[in-house]
Amino acid sequence: MSDASPILRINALTKTFDDFTALHGIDLDVAEGEFLAIVGPSGSGKTTLIRLLVGMDDPTDGAIWLRDQRIDVIPANRRPTCMVFQSLALFPHRTVGQNIEFPLKLRGVAAKARKDRALELLDLLRLPRDYYAKRIQQCSGGEKQRVALARALAFDPEILFFDEPLSALDYRLRKTLEKELKDLHRRTGKTFIYITHSLEEAMVMSDRIAIMRAGRFEQIAPAEEIYARPVSPFVAEFMGEVNFLPLRAGMVAGAALSSAAQAALAGQGGTLVLRPESLRLNPQAADLTLTGTVAAAYLLGSRMQYRIDSPAGELTVEVLREDAVAGGIGAPVTLGCDLAALHLIAEARDAAA
Amino acid sequence: MRRRERQLGALYALPLSVFLGLTFLAPILLVAGFSMMPEKVFDLAHMPDFSAYRTVLAQGYWKSVAWSLVLAALATLILLAVCWPLAYAMAKVFRRFTLVLTIGVVMTLFVSENIRLFGWVLTLMKGGLIEGYVRHWTGIGFDAPLYNVPVIVFGLVYVYLPFMLFPLAQGISMVPDDARQAAFDLGATRWQILREIELPLAMPGIMVGSLLSFVLAAGAMAESKLLGGRAVITIADEVQTAFTYGQNWPLGSALAMVLIAIIGTLAIWAISKADLDAMMGRKS
Amino acid sequence: MKTSRLASALLVAYGIAVLAFLYLPLVSVGLASVSKARYLSFPIRRYNTEWYGEALASDTVQGLLWISLKVAGIVTVSSMVIGFLGALAFARYSWRFRKPFQKLILLPIFFPQTVLGLALLMWFNALGIVPSWKTAIVAHLVWIAPIATLIVSIRAFGFDPALEEAARDMGATQWQVLREVTIPLLMPGVVSAGLFAFLLSWGNFPLSLFTTGADSTLPEWLFAKMISGYSPLVPTVGMLTVAGSAGMVAAGLILAWALRRLRPTT
Repeated sequence: MSDASPILRINALTKTFDDFTALHGIDLDVAEGEFLAIVGPSGSGKTTLIRLLVGMDDPTDGAIWLRDQRIDVIPANRRPTCMVFQSLALFPHRTVGQNIEFPLKLRGVAAKARKDRALELLDLLRLPRDYYAKRIQQCSGGEKQRVALARALAFDPEILFFDEPLSALDYRLRKTLEKELKDLHRRTGKTFIYITHSLEEAMVMSDRIAIMRAGRFEQIAPAEEIYARPVSPFVAEFMGEVNFLPLRAGMVAGAALSSAAQAALAGQGGTLVLRPESLRLNPQAADLTLTGTVAAAYLLGSRMQYRIDSPAGELTVEVLREDAVAGGIGAPVTLGCDLAALHLIAEARDAAA
Repeated sequence: MRRRERQLGALYALPLSVFLGLTFLAPILLVAGFSMMPEKVFDLAHMPDFSAYRTVLAQGYWKSVAWSLVLAALATLILLAVCWPLAYAMAKVFRRFTLVLTIGVVMTLFVSENIRLFGWVLTLMKGGLIEGYVRHWTGIGFDAPLYNVPVIVFGLVYVYLPFMLFPLAQGISMVPDDARQAAFDLGATRWQILREIELPLAMPGIMVGSLLSFVLAAGAMAESKLLGGRAVITIADEVQTAFTYGQNWPLGSALAMVLIAIIGTLAIWAISKADLDAMMGRKS
Repeated sequence: MKTSRLASALLVAYGIAVLAFLYLPLVSVGLASVSKARYLSFPIRRYNTEWYGEALASDTVQGLLWISLKVAGIVTVSSMVIGFLGALAFARYSWRFRKPFQKLILLPIFFPQTVLGLALLMWFNALGIVPSWKTAIVAHLVWIAPIATLIVSIRAFGFDPALEEAARDMGATQWQVLREVTIPLLMPGVVSAGLFAFLLSWGNFPLSLFTTGADSTLPEWLFAKMISGYSPLVPTVGMLTVAGSAGMVAAGLILAWALRRLRPTT
């Protein structure tokens, strides 16, 4: 991200509503052609942020730069960016073609050129050309999605924003469209900024993920890094099932540490983050070992998930089905993991949880 | 379930249907019958001869019809322009104030139309509320802006404002905020949003409001009588005169049939296009 | 895209101006009703309320009040019953002629009232009925019962049919469903329909004009006086009818408030 100058730069952006602060002076750089996902629970400020970015609202303080142009002072209709709405906001009184041509018509593009562009976009979005004359009400959910994308791309905006456009769709269609969107990103080479509350969606599609919490960015990094090295328990939990073990002066209550682990953790304090799939059942050797009994077992298709009662509290473990424990509820088990799978969140960050 | 619903629906519709059949449809048929009778008869036991319709054509009654329609059209256009900003604000901008306005406007409907129009006479006449105080403070008097055609249009706008305002606000509230914002984001100016998004999507409300105002104004007479000093005789006024002073029921009926035909065509056309279930938000 | 503070303020000012425009003539009538002079001229120099005393003491005005009240009262009760039943057919049940029924109901509302009044006069004459305040009730109902039906229908449209089905499922008879579920749920709509019915009948002039025969309602009498020249009793009696409407609205609001207090769940 540092090699080229960013296409979008957010500088100390603040937004307050009466006595509530939705954004606390946040900073962000987005590289040209990047697919950035902004993820956060509802109320984290992500919707406020996107409304400021597209120009539906004015910031209280701070600035938004598009290359070397300051855009937060420009109204939305004159910004070279475009948003795909959560509701898609397709115009029900216009046909598919008229919807796609709408931004071009506003810019005074001739009818012939508009139609050519609309057909080109139908091709790009892999919609049949005869959809040009279709009514919006005749389109399926996935088709509407593609029409909305075509319309947003029509005037060739610099950046495309997405406000959870997939959240209302059923699971299977969502999965298909996630991949299509990623593919479209690759083919157009445009900068995509995508707001969602679903981390799963963000991980499938994006180059980088920005996690928002209470009007601030908690962590901005590629998906693998956020998953493996969360900066806070909040991020760790947001990224899926996780176990936390308190570390006090290099010791974990109720667990045995190997000499290598003792050396690595000596004198440190904080919270150890352990993903359920990095814990193994009844291991030959491990850097961290716990004992406990099976409290519950769930079949997750190709994997098994267990809840284990242990002296360190209730833990979640996920293993392949062939590694399932013999016996059942109440069976005693040993849990272990390697030093490499342990991620330590130091004391200071821990306080936030 | 289905069968009982069908029976119950028909049963509950019965009282009102029978009542309107006897007191609305039957009298209109009677008027239609009388309109075909020879002039100045008081029963239907005569050969139909359509002479009343000939009189309508020959005696210049078309002027009253034309005046009524022109005044109604003018009032409707002015109402559209006057009500649009307020309806827009009621639907999209105001919160609490919408309720205040709704109650305030509805309350005026409960005061007899002729008291309110009489109030305008007291307000506008020479020595009335406006001229009286202006003369008192400035010493400059002026003639009353009464008893002419513009004041009749003014009266129509005044009386029928609620019938334009509420359907319009309802229509505008059906324009999704997202559609307006998306248009703005795609580069539309305020004017383009109005023309491309808001007007077409609010069209059902615009049509209902315009038709209601037009139809009611076309059948009006109190405005021209009280404010206009009969500067113009409206068609409803002619109908009344034919029945009362003229004692010519067939002529009055023929004139009434002309008015009914114009208003009925518009109303039936509009009502047949409207899906009341969708407009009023029926469940299931 | 959002409306600026200035634009909002301008729109509020415009709304207030429209309200002022709607109420200005009533202000004139109100001021005129307390002017002492026999021939009205603004600005009013001497105020008094003697015309109110005279109006209330007058046998004519008392008679008019009584007739207007009788007509409006009976119209109110009848429209509440007809409107309740009509709304179930209009909004709740799916039956064969529902759409034509809906359209039939709208027609009288659009219809020019003067013509409707005259048509009814001819119809009563043909049936050999002598017009009086009783025929005026029928005339008012032709216009007001459909409006009452529409008002109850708004409530009935928001009514979840599953509630009735659930009651039947639990063993309620048709009559019990009506009494225990349908009527209580539609009651607020029926009450507002009754309020509208009273107010619209109380203030109606064009329908009364031809259908009251030798009797007369307040708006009719007022119109006759307005046409024949100024009388100080016109604004006074006019304000009395406005006060009647306002009192009715206040009573309706208090009733609605009391109902909500009594039954917090609805």
